[in-house]
Amino acid sequence: MADTDLARDDEFELTEEQKLLKESLLDWGERELPLTRVIEMNQEGHPYPEDIIKSLANLGVIMGPVPEEHGGSGLSWEDQAIIADQIGYIDPSIATAAGLMAVETGWGYTLNRYGNETIQEKFVKPAINGDQFVGIATTEPGGGSDVAGFESTAERDGDDWILNGEKTFISGTEEAQKMGGAFWVNVRTGPAPEDAPHKNMTSFCVPVDADGMNFQEPYRDAGRMAISTGGFIMEDVRIPDRFRLGEVDKGFYYTMEGFDNARILIGASSVGVTRRVLEEAADYIKERETFGNPLAKYEGIQFEFSDLYTRMKALRLMYQQVARMQEKRYQEAGKGERKREPKTYSSTDVARWISMIKWKAPHLAKEAADKAMHWLGAAGYADDYVFETAWKGVMSYCVGAEGGANIQKIVIGRETLGPEYVPYK
Amino acid sequence: MDFLVFIKQVPDTDEVKVDEESGTIIREGVPSILNPFDEYALNLALRLKEGMEDEVNITAMSMGPPQAKDALKKCLAIGADRGILLSDKVFGGADTWATSFTLFKGVEKMGGADLYFSGQEATDGNTAQVGPELASHLNLSSMTYVEDVLDINPKEGYLTAKKETDEGFIKLKSELPVVLSCMTPPDFEPKIPGVKEIMKAKNKPLDTWNHDDLGGTEEEYGLEGSESQVISTYPPPSKGPGEKFEGPAEEGAEKIFALLKDEGVCDD
Repeated sequence: MADTDLARDDEFELTEEQKLLKESLLDWGERELPLTRVIEMNQEGHPYPEDIIKSLANLGVIMGPVPEEHGGSGLSWEDQAIIADQIGYIDPSIATAAGLMAVETGWGYTLNRYGNETIQEKFVKPAINGDQFVGIATTEPGGGSDVAGFESTAERDGDDWILNGEKTFISGTEEAQKMGGAFWVNVRTGPAPEDAPHKNMTSFCVPVDADGMNFQEPYRDAGRMAISTGGFIMEDVRIPDRFRLGEVDKGFYYTMEGFDNARILIGASSVGVTRRVLEEAADYIKERETFGNPLAKYEGIQFEFSDLYTRMKALRLMYQQVARMQEKRYQEAGKGERKREPKTYSSTDVARWISMIKWKAPHLAKEAADKAMHWLGAAGYADDYVFETAWKGVMSYCVGAEGGANIQKIVIGRETLGPEYVPYK
Repeated sequence: MDFLVFIKQVPDTDEVKVDEESGTIIREGVPSILNPFDEYALNLALRLKEGMEDEVNITAMSMGPPQAKDALKKCLAIGADRGILLSDKVFGGADTWATSFTLFKGVEKMGGADLYFSGQEATDGNTAQVGPELASHLNLSSMTYVEDVLDINPKEGYLTAKKETDEGFIKLKSELPVVLSCMTPPDFEPKIPGVKEIMKAKNKPLDTWNHDDLGGTEEEYGLEGSESQVISTYPPPSKGPGEKFEGPAEEGAEKIFALLKDEGVCDD
């Protein structure tokens, strides 16, 4: 770990247990996932090492908020966000955060919330134990942010459903094939109404080994190389009705909730990436001398550092608030209930905050890595340091993973100015 | 069986800051950790517990300021069943003798144990005295530099331990109870508590006992009860910058060799 410690004063309002969680994760990171291994994993590429998945599962951090009776740790969303922050700090390439925090925890928790006992036993519990992978597959060649472009379908056939369509830019396709597990897949179970294309979508858990699942070669992404991004085509994939998530035609709402949960964790893990980048950079600029002075003495660098540091601290408080709001919502809504207007915060209140953190935190991490590379010069551009690895990795959250920046701005505008100002549906 | 592990919270830094006026260590702003030797002692106790047929309860006990509870909470998360903090202004300024006396009074109040563990030393004081002094207060045998417990037989009432010496290791046998001062082996990897263990620790008993709870006169504790006093504390003089030789390796080696000869470290 870096000599500079920018988290010491983050103890504000943390419980004793949360402090211990942070400490345990840091100890785990030093032992299992030091920066040298992060850089090495990024260079070697996917699939993500199973030993690390298993080790994190043993720590109990995958799907932490899932209740203990379903194999989880019963953590609060604030606890899980703190874990995500530390995971981002430990692995600034964000492969671990992308695979285990955003995908498995954000979406896995939502699966647990609306899934029946079959889904809990077959998919949720094994993923919590690190024996299988659960992922999310919403994006299609014709539509990602644009839900009207979704074309995959499911048709009822007795007690089964027959799925057809194509999913693309899906995190963890190679890991899921290797470990087994399932993808949360959204399909149309009725035509898309012109004025409300989000309707008539249903969500299913589709096992990776189901007949008719044809996986494509993973993409050669710019960053976060330790976890794969690929796609698959579903050709007459027959799955039983018990693999359906929640109610028919209500998939869009479950999906939005899954996005909410994943986005909180992305925000928190991006704050962790920023912290690691700034700490590593601070170590360097305090030591490295040019023209008789350490780099940190030059205002051109120091002022940029101060600016990034200040914004990082603000976002850290922001993710804590967002996570607390989400926790409050869940406490006030029973399992499986989608309460649109719970007592304390409405879904729009929370969605607005979630979009703010999802928009700003990854961009700050990217900016911090960019500035650090400038401060270090050629050394920062080389992969001996983590900056280029972090820069490339966190870029995936900026360009679109779990929702692009412009979509977040639309959500913030819609939930603040009013739905009549949504530019398009 | 009852195992009792004495632990201490210590500053997590090699650069100990010292108050120039009082000569005491400034703890403010310095992160604190569980003394690594004590962490090993607790891990050893846990390992022994796992291999025992009888039910074993592990208590972690510490004397320190209220914030030392953090270290005890960590012990509970690692696997101790109970934590006891001995904390009172009266205990402040204690040397190793007064510290071991306070811990002894804690042991008395708790009703004793069947086996005692402490770290060989604490990384802030490095005296290595508290373990043997506790044995003296308790009128028990003391085994120091214990790297491992090889065998424990509660029915026969003995244990054998592996003790590190300058020459190597020796095997020692002692009657139970005994006070073990534990030396961390080089390959030791401390147990990292998981989420469930941390959450479970929340419900484990963690008591704080003060002077009234332990009894005795105030003069027996803290600064007044100390046999020794710190006259001054100061960091070791910092080493000056080293000499740097640049150029081909062979030339550098020759220069270093010449320097060592000048210093009388080696001959031709």
